Amino acid sequence: MAIRVNPSFIDDLDRFGAEDVQLCYQCGDCSTVCSHADDIFKFPRKSMRQLQMGLEQKIETTLEPWLCYYCGQCSEQCPREADPGETMMSLRRWLISRYDFTGIARQFFKSRIREILSITVVALLTGAFLMFHVLSGGSIHIYDGEGAFLPSPFIHTFDLTIGSVLAVFLLINAVRMWYFTMIRGMSIPVPWWLYLKEFFELPLHFFTQKMYAECENKNEHQVHMPWLIHLGLMLGYVTMLVLVMVFIEPLQAGPEIHWSIHIFGYLATIGLSIGTIYFIRHRIKKENYIQYKKSHSTDWIFVVMLFFIVITGILQHIFHRTGLYEWANITYVIHLMAVTPWLLRMPFSKWAHMIYRPLAMYFAAIQKTAYARQDDLDDSLSVTIK
Amino acid sequence: MKNLRIGVYVCNCGTNIAKIIDAEAVAKYASNLPNVAIAKTYKYMCSNPGQEMIAQDIKDNELDRVVVAACSPNMHERTFRHALRMAGLNQYLLEMANIREQCSWVHKDRKAATKKAMALVHGAVLRVEKHEALESIDVDMSPNSLVIGGGIAGMTTALELADAGNSVHLVEKSDQLGGNVGRVDLTAPYYYSATDLLTDRITRTKSHKKIQVYLQSKVTDLSGFVGNFTANIIHLNGVPESEKTPVEVQIGNVAICTGYKEFDASRVTHYGYGKLPNVITSFELERMLRAGKVETKEGKTPKYVAIIHCVGSRNKEFHTYCSRVCCMTALKYAHEIKSANPECYVSDVYIDMNAFGKGHEDFYLQSSQAKTLFLMYDKENRPVIHKAEPSDDCEMLIEVHEKLSGEHIEIPADLIVLMVGMEAREDAHEIAHLAGISQDKDGWFIESHPKLEPVATTTDGVFIAGTCVAPKDIPDTVAQARAAAARILARIAKGKIEVDAIYSEVNKELCSGCRFCNDLCPYNAIEFIEEEGQSHVISALCKACGVCVAACPSSAIKGRHFTDDQVLAQIDGLFSKVEYELEEQPVK
Repeated sequence: MAIRVNPSFIDDLDRFGAEDVQLCYQCGDCSTVCSHADDIFKFPRKSMRQLQMGLEQKIETTLEPWLCYYCGQCSEQCPREADPGETMMSLRRWLISRYDFTGIARQFFKSRIREILSITVVALLTGAFLMFHVLSGGSIHIYDGEGAFLPSPFIHTFDLTIGSVLAVFLLINAVRMWYFTMIRGMSIPVPWWLYLKEFFELPLHFFTQKMYAECENKNEHQVHMPWLIHLGLMLGYVTMLVLVMVFIEPLQAGPEIHWSIHIFGYLATIGLSIGTIYFIRHRIKKENYIQYKKSHSTDWIFVVMLFFIVITGILQHIFHRTGLYEWANITYVIHLMAVTPWLLRMPFSKWAHMIYRPLAMYFAAIQKTAYARQDDLDDSLSVTIK
Repeated sequence: MKNLRIGVYVCNCGTNIAKIIDAEAVAKYASNLPNVAIAKTYKYMCSNPGQEMIAQDIKDNELDRVVVAACSPNMHERTFRHALRMAGLNQYLLEMANIREQCSWVHKDRKAATKKAMALVHGAVLRVEKHEALESIDVDMSPNSLVIGGGIAGMTTALELADAGNSVHLVEKSDQLGGNVGRVDLTAPYYYSATDLLTDRITRTKSHKKIQVYLQSKVTDLSGFVGNFTANIIHLNGVPESEKTPVEVQIGNVAICTGYKEFDASRVTHYGYGKLPNVITSFELERMLRAGKVETKEGKTPKYVAIIHCVGSRNKEFHTYCSRVCCMTALKYAHEIKSANPECYVSDVYIDMNAFGKGHEDFYLQSSQAKTLFLMYDKENRPVIHKAEPSDDCEMLIEVHEKLSGEHIEIPADLIVLMVGMEAREDAHEIAHLAGISQDKDGWFIESHPKLEPVATTTDGVFIAGTCVAPKDIPDTVAQARAAAARILARIAKGKIEVDAIYSEVNKELCSGCRFCNDLCPYNAIEFIEEEGQSHVISALCKACGVCVAACPSSAIKGRHFTDDQVLAQIDGLFSKVEYELEEQPVK
């Protein structure tokens, strides 16, 4: 059965950032220089071709874009300046929009106005909701405890509510990703026990991002800067997320914050601050690393919004620790007005790569084992026939 | 017969000969042959010192015959003839023994190779004894020329010749000048208008005092030889050919610029050309572009346009060669269609992108920038065109195995353009027969040397230029046309042409007038003289191939410089008993 070519697909992907893919003439330099392309996952060359030809079904069911950490060597090598690195990035954006069953992600990726508008609306609604709650008995002079402006149990409930909504969306999208790549994308059966056998890959890639480090082993850069910063940002983010979701009450407590919470809070803040400042700086300067030379609107929103949240969080903490409770409460409201849309758009944005990428690494390991197993089966079968 | 004094010169050719053949032993062997006065070896006999040595020896030792044992006469016979002339000896008193191409290069056994070289030298010595002093002849060169074909090549040649002050007869079969270029809208890769390229040339050709244009005409007969041809031209309209009185013109040279014919796309059954209304050829698209509107037969603007390359080219079933102009023309279409209608998607279905010329690679890049979708197919696995289902958003689907992705795909299309290749004209064989030139397996005229003589033919005075030689683009065609004109002008400037003294001669006492030789001669060099009832060889046309000599039942024809005596003597020499023992072990 012949697959239908879709020549208009390339125009669609243009909005997702693949602006130069039409220049590719399939020399294959990108795959040669890539640390991670192999016999099974032949990206970026193959992905570039599928994109040019508009083979949506093929792209939707492949894990390949997720196996790329965008070190940018392919884009540096490309003789036609077709920017394979950015193409892989835009395919990840497109995949996020495909995994998302609501269609919201697609709207956000295609239009920055829609995204900024919805963020603003959610922020204002959040502000309104908080003020409404405050009017029912809070005092701006009290930070926590009895009569507090935003008491920690209330915030805890608030956080958990948003967290649950988030989890539901993410779970559904992750299941869709699994269905696309592991069911529709596989021509051979995958035995269930392979999921157990390779399960270790999931936390391994989540907490180390070791493939990013491997990218840079092949690179000319002496220090593994982008990998370290990216890892620091991610670990800081996860730590802070856990603190906010689970330990908000001791975190928000009066002067007596427990030392262990303190250490984690400070470490997370350092990771987040360095990470966001580093990425903003490189995206502005566009120097040294090719991966920061092109920035999609969603890249900017991601990093700037996160930076804003970090700054308001730090200010709020300083005001709280210095006893300026009024100021602490005001910055807290502003902080939450940014946090709520940030968290709610998680499943529809760049943020989702935190879940999809380690999942893809895990699935890819299963696929490789499955193919190797199939090869062994085929070999043994041909021997018995003889 | 007086005693002859023969000099034998054995060349080492650096190590080319000496590595396998014991040159010293060959020279020593030669020196013992009767009539050999002197035998020498030298590292490079063709070098200036080598030639001077031979010339000096001729003077000092009163040599009257020379044998050079070296490479093929094709390579250096001219060189050594020159050496003989320097010493005042007739240049035909030379014989070359080819001990390189026919001996040292093809053998490994030193002993056997040396013995063979000795036999070859022996043959040459016996042959050269029979050589006669011959004189080459000069013939007058008519300054008038005939140009067949009124396309861009023919007009360029004619204008070049006429601008230099020579009369030109330009014969064109159709009713207008311009040829195939006249059917094109814009040219790749710089979008020059083909009409603009032509208009100036057509006006100048028609109004030029020195050019006589014959439209709707053809050349029916070409006789004579270089410098002195007679051509008959007839007008094709009206009365039947047999009743026409041809115009007879006297000319010195002929330039053939008859061009090409487009491949008939309906021969590729997979493409449904002629059955599916929206499958068109590149020339049909040119007409649409010239009219300024690309649309389907139903008058709709196509959303998907597909261009299929190599229709009739690069395939075992039709032609294996590349037609050279279609790739860039296809890219030009992609550009034009996309810029006229940015909503349209152009798929370019190709085998290889042959972007060899100046500016072509950049043009290819520009097409990529314009988002042309390039899809590669295998040359032995052609695409197939189907009608689409009513539910599809396109009229047709092209099914093909796409090489770069490895996928079996179908490409949507509302309009399909077939890039038809170039083919030799069906009447090219008539021209070939008329002018005594040859065609290759595909029907293109053959050059006398594909690299060094790209516009000359094996018939002296007949030149070829443009796409009648092989597919080529406009710049290459114009370059060839100017090259042909330059070759003709050089001859006109010289006024005379030297004809080699080696040709066939008819012995009038023996010729019975049977005319066997007349038809056999591949160069039309033998005429029959009615009054005498005998055949006569036109020495200027004869190439000394020897066919008539072998065919003549009365042995009345002698090939000068290849007489029976000479050939038999050489054979005697080749079969002489040669003794040679290796003196030392060959170097490993």
